[in-house]
Amino acid sequence: MSRFTKIALIGLILFPFAFLLMLSVGRQWPYPAVFPEQWALSNWQLVLGGSEGLGNSVLLSVLLSLSVATLSTGLSFWVSRHIAYHPKREAWLSLAYFPYVFAPVILAACLQFFFIVAGLYGTFGGVLLAQLFITFPYGVIFFSSFWNERLRSMEELVKTLGGSTLQAYAKVLVPVAKGALMTCFFQLFLISWFEYGLTNLIGVGKVPTLTLRVFQYVNEANIFLAALASCLLILPPVALLWLNRAVVFRERIVP
Amino acid sequence: MLDIKNINKQYKGEAVLQDLSFTLQAHEMLSILGRSGSGKTTLLKILAGLETADRGQLLLDGQDLSPVPANQRGIVYLYQEALLFPHLDVFENVAFGLRLRHRPETEIKKKVNALLQRLELPEQARKMPEQLSGGQRQRVAFGRALIIEPRVLLLDEPFGALDTETRRSMQQLLKRVAKDLGLTAIFVTHDLKEAMLMGDRLGMMQNGQLKIYGSRAEFIADESTGAREEARFWIDLHDLKLTK
Repeated sequence: MSRFTKIALIGLILFPFAFLLMLSVGRQWPYPAVFPEQWALSNWQLVLGGSEGLGNSVLLSVLLSLSVATLSTGLSFWVSRHIAYHPKREAWLSLAYFPYVFAPVILAACLQFFFIVAGLYGTFGGVLLAQLFITFPYGVIFFSSFWNERLRSMEELVKTLGGSTLQAYAKVLVPVAKGALMTCFFQLFLISWFEYGLTNLIGVGKVPTLTLRVFQYVNEANIFLAALASCLLILPPVALLWLNRAVVFRERIVP
Repeated sequence: MLDIKNINKQYKGEAVLQDLSFTLQAHEMLSILGRSGSGKTTLLKILAGLETADRGQLLLDGQDLSPVPANQRGIVYLYQEALLFPHLDVFENVAFGLRLRHRPETEIKKKVNALLQRLELPEQARKMPEQLSGGQRQRVAFGRALIIEPRVLLLDEPFGALDTETRRSMQQLLKRVAKDLGLTAIFVTHDLKEAMLMGDRLGMMQNGQLKIYGSRAEFIADESTGAREEARFWIDLHDLKLTK
C-alpha cells in the first residue's frame, strides 16, 4: 500500500470524527460557507455543568454502562459455564437467544408492566435491569464457545490438587479467560452505551443517557449540540478500545 | 492402604463398573491394563472424587472416602495431557498446590527447586508451558502433583501422547521417582509393555471388571492379557531372522 493511499484511508476514517469536532465548536454556519462563521468553546462549557447538564449525562452513561458490562460479564461467565456442562446444554442456550427474537423495544414493552409494578419504571435501577435482559444473554452466547473439555479437566485438576471451586475460578479459570473476559466486557459496554429504545421506554426520559441526549438534539435540529454530544459519545468507547488493545492484545493469548 | 469394595457404576443403564474390588498397599504401584471404554478412567475419577459410584465402598487408611470432596482426599488425578496452566511458568505450575495451601515463600522455593532438580528441570524454571517439549510438560505435571505429597497418585495413560523415545525415558524417570519418594499409585494404560514395566502388581480391566494378578507369571499366563501373544510374536520374528 502506497503512502498516499495510507494517508487517504486514515483521512477517510478520521473525517467523520474531525467533522463532528468542528461542528461542536462551530456557530452560525449558513449555506454555502465551507466552515462555520464563528468558532466558540461555549458548547463545550455546557459539559462542565450548564443548564443542558451534559456532564451529568456523561457520568450517568459511564456509570450505567460500566455497571451493566461488569454485572453481565461476571454473571454470564459463571452461568455459561454451568450451561456448557449441562446435559441439556442446547435447550438452555436456545433460551439465551430469546431476547434477540424480538427487538429490544418490543422486549421492553413486554416488560413494562412488571417494571411499573416493581416501582422500577423511570429509575436508574430499572434501566440497568432492563439492559441486563439484553446484555446477559449476549454474554452467555459469547462464552458458550469458550468452555471445553480441556478447561473442565483443568478445573478438576485444581480440585484434586486441593483447590476449592473459588480457587479454581480465581487462580485458573479467570486468568485463562482474561482475554475473553476483556473482549466481552468491551462489547457489552458498547451495547449498553449506544442502547436507545429500551433505555428510552423504561427510563421514560428520567434517565437521560448521552445516547438519548444525542437523539434529543437531533430531533430538535440542534446540530451543534448534537455534534458535541456525539463527540462525547465516541470518547469512552475509543478509550476502552485503546485499553483493550493495550491490555489484551499485548499479552500472551491463552486458550 | 486403599481398599475398594464392590464398586458399581452405570451410565444410561449400561454398567461401566461391576462389583469392582481390590486393595492397593502403601508405596505400591498398581498397573491396570485395559482397552478404551473398559471403565479405567471412570474408576480413577471415582477414586479421585470427580465422579460418584452408584454402590460400593472406598476406604483410604480406614477412612471412608465417599463423603470426602475431591479437594480434601489428597488423591491427585493426572490426565494423558499435561494440562499445565498456560498463564503460569514452570516454577509457578509446580508451586501451584503449595500456593493453594498458602505455604510460606521460603518453603515453596526450597521444595519447588528441589523437585525441579529431581525431575531434571532446573533450567526450565522460568519458561512458559508453550516453550516446553511434550516430555518436559509431562515432567512439570508430575512435579505439580508430587509437590503436595499426595496420598495416592492416579495416572491415566500419562505417556499416551508422547513419542517412543520420550515415553521410554519418562517411564524410567517415573519409576525412579516413585521408588525414591515411596509413591502409592495406580497407573492405567492400554500398552502391555508399559503396564508390565511400571507396575509392582498388575491388573486387567475388561467390561467393567478388574482382575488383579498375584504375580507377573500369572499375568503372562492369562491369554486375555495378550502377553503370551506378544511374546510369541517376538519369538517368531526372532526365529524368522535366524532362519534367514
